[in-house]
Amino acid sequence: MSRAALLLLLWCALPASPGSAVLAADRPALRVLVLDNAPPMSFRDEFGQLTGFSVEVARAVCSEMRVNCAFDVVTQSALLPAISQGKADIAAVGLLATTERRAKMLFAKPYYRSMSLWLARPGIVPGQAGVRVAAVGGSVQEAYGRKQGWEMNAVATHGELAEPLISGQAQAVLVPMISALNLQKVVAFRKLGLATTVIHAAELSGDAAFGISPFRPELLKEINAALDRIKRNGTYDRINSRFLPFRVS
Amino acid sequence: MNLNACQITAFSLPSGGTGPILIPAPKAIQAGRAFALLAALFLFAFGLAVVLLALDQQRVVDATSRLQDQTVPEIIRFQRLARNLEQLRQEGERIFAVSSQASRQQSMFVVTLIASHPSILEHPGAARLARETEQFLSEVVRQASADDRRPATRYDEWQRIAARLGMQVDDVSVQGINLANSDLNVATTAMRLARYKLMTALVLVGVFLVVFMVLVRRHLIHPLQRINQSLSTLSADRPAPEFGPSTMLEICAVEDSVREHHALLIQNEETRQVLEKLANKDGLTGLMNRRHFMQSAEVELQRAQRYRRPVTVAMADLDLFKKLNDTYGHAAGDAVLRAFADLVRDTLRQSDFVCRYGGEEFAFLFPEIGPAETEKLAERLRARCDAMDVALPDGRSVKATVSIGLADASECPIEIALKRADEALYEAKRLGRNRVVVSSSSAAKIDGEPDTLTGSLF
Repeated sequence: MSRAALLLLLWCALPASPGSAVLAADRPALRVLVLDNAPPMSFRDEFGQLTGFSVEVARAVCSEMRVNCAFDVVTQSALLPAISQGKADIAAVGLLATTERRAKMLFAKPYYRSMSLWLARPGIVPGQAGVRVAAVGGSVQEAYGRKQGWEMNAVATHGELAEPLISGQAQAVLVPMISALNLQKVVAFRKLGLATTVIHAAELSGDAAFGISPFRPELLKEINAALDRIKRNGTYDRINSRFLPFRVS
Repeated sequence: MNLNACQITAFSLPSGGTGPILIPAPKAIQAGRAFALLAALFLFAFGLAVVLLALDQQRVVDATSRLQDQTVPEIIRFQRLARNLEQLRQEGERIFAVSSQASRQQSMFVVTLIASHPSILEHPGAARLARETEQFLSEVVRQASADDRRPATRYDEWQRIAARLGMQVDDVSVQGINLANSDLNVATTAMRLARYKLMTALVLVGVFLVVFMVLVRRHLIHPLQRINQSLSTLSADRPAPEFGPSTMLEICAVEDSVREHHALLIQNEETRQVLEKLANKDGLTGLMNRRHFMQSAEVELQRAQRYRRPVTVAMADLDLFKKLNDTYGHAAGDAVLRAFADLVRDTLRQSDFVCRYGGEEFAFLFPEIGPAETEKLAERLRARCDAMDVALPDGRSVKATVSIGLADASECPIEIALKRADEALYEAKRLGRNRVVVSSSSAAKIDGEPDTLTGSLF
């Protein structure tokens, strides 16, 4: 009896093994940056809780890594400086890994593949003179438009993209594929009867990945392994089905 | 030429006509080296099997790692592609099913996205079909915006495209699953090979054990059993043990030792016999010495008394021997003693005991005859002695006579009987020498109990 009690005490004294389902309480929390007005990727639900494809994938990755993650909401334009300066550990946003961005931060393995769409009234083509193009400030779409010499109308969040077109301030919008999906749900936007054109520019399509602070290179391997696991164990596909109409990986 | 039994083996042909033939046996080797060599061979073979097994196991590990790290993600990618194609078909169905133009446009938007998505574009077959589907549905949506009834007219056409989409979904799914076949085949082949090698290794172990046991039994246990049997029956009375050919130096050494031991036994027996002779015989006459006579006579007397058999003792003394010594010298005395001893041996029976009791005095024990018969025998000895001429070394010859006293020993200890015989001897001396006198205690017996047992001896 006393032997069994001793064994029990020893077992209790042992630290939690790495395989334990309990999150390590003493492990410092990872600071994760998310957007809150970019449905269906990242938004607040009816209870005010952060959710969306990117947010849930980030949560699943944190769970796989068995770390506590603290989510902070930022705007697209504030996102990249915060990561590159090390103010946060992970940017849980689908970022296209451009050369400029690679110089400032690390990129995890891609968690979906994206492309950019040009939505405009039929007859209005990309590069047409006198056309104002709406895009999210700080996004690759805005950078691409400015690089092309287009007249850009930058908005702060993806949720505000419909407004310039509905009000007539812009005649076209250059958006990531998934943001376009959300725009289609806005009745007023849909009534504009816009035509869809896929922009096949290299910098506007391709793999989208989480950004990682350049000061936390050790996270890269862990995050990639966690992503591989959730892609294999079905977690990723359930999140995909929950927020998006088709497989985006 | 000294030949090692382990190097040269002798045996006779079955016909036995030509005698033993020498043939060289296989060269002998040390048992330790032989078994070490066998063990080294086994270790090499078994080690090789283990290495081959380890290689197969590594192939299985590599194949399963590849399956997990590369093939499974690839299979999942194909499943997602199939899912998107299925989604494409569902959005097409929705375009035909709904009446709202807005819903059609929403579905068409999704169709456009799916058809343009990299996951579709990287698969040529799926990309072609998706583009064709997008164009068809785009046309349908455009026509529907003009005339709401038009979509129904193209539904049959859509059914064919939808069927092709369904088949493409199946193809992509199977294509994905088949990716695992290669890795599984590699793993299965490696496992099968490993099983064969494992069985081979086990058979190897079994064969080695059998060979080892056979060799141990043949070259160690059997020779040792033969040696044990030879040792248990080893005796100077038996011939030297014969061993079969042996290939083990250690066994050969033990067999040689056994042979040497046998030769030593024979030598010891010969030495023992010589020593016994020296210990029991009188050096001058070759007769028993007094000690040995007393031991032997005691045993014989006990035997005779136990079975109530007649037995007689006698004491004899050469007459005037001192004078002979003084006259002719001790060499002449010795010659007379030797001649008398020869005469005794020649005259008495094989079963009679006689010893040189001391000086010129002799003691006798006659089994199975009483004093009367013994007297005749003694008389014959006395007479032959009286008639004997003893040739001396210097060419002269002398004569000697003997006085003999007899006593019955069938009912008294040897010492008493000899004492009585000695008294009879003195009586013979007193009566003038060269005569036989029977002890008075025995004379009465001669008259009362005639000895009939040995009457036929003389």
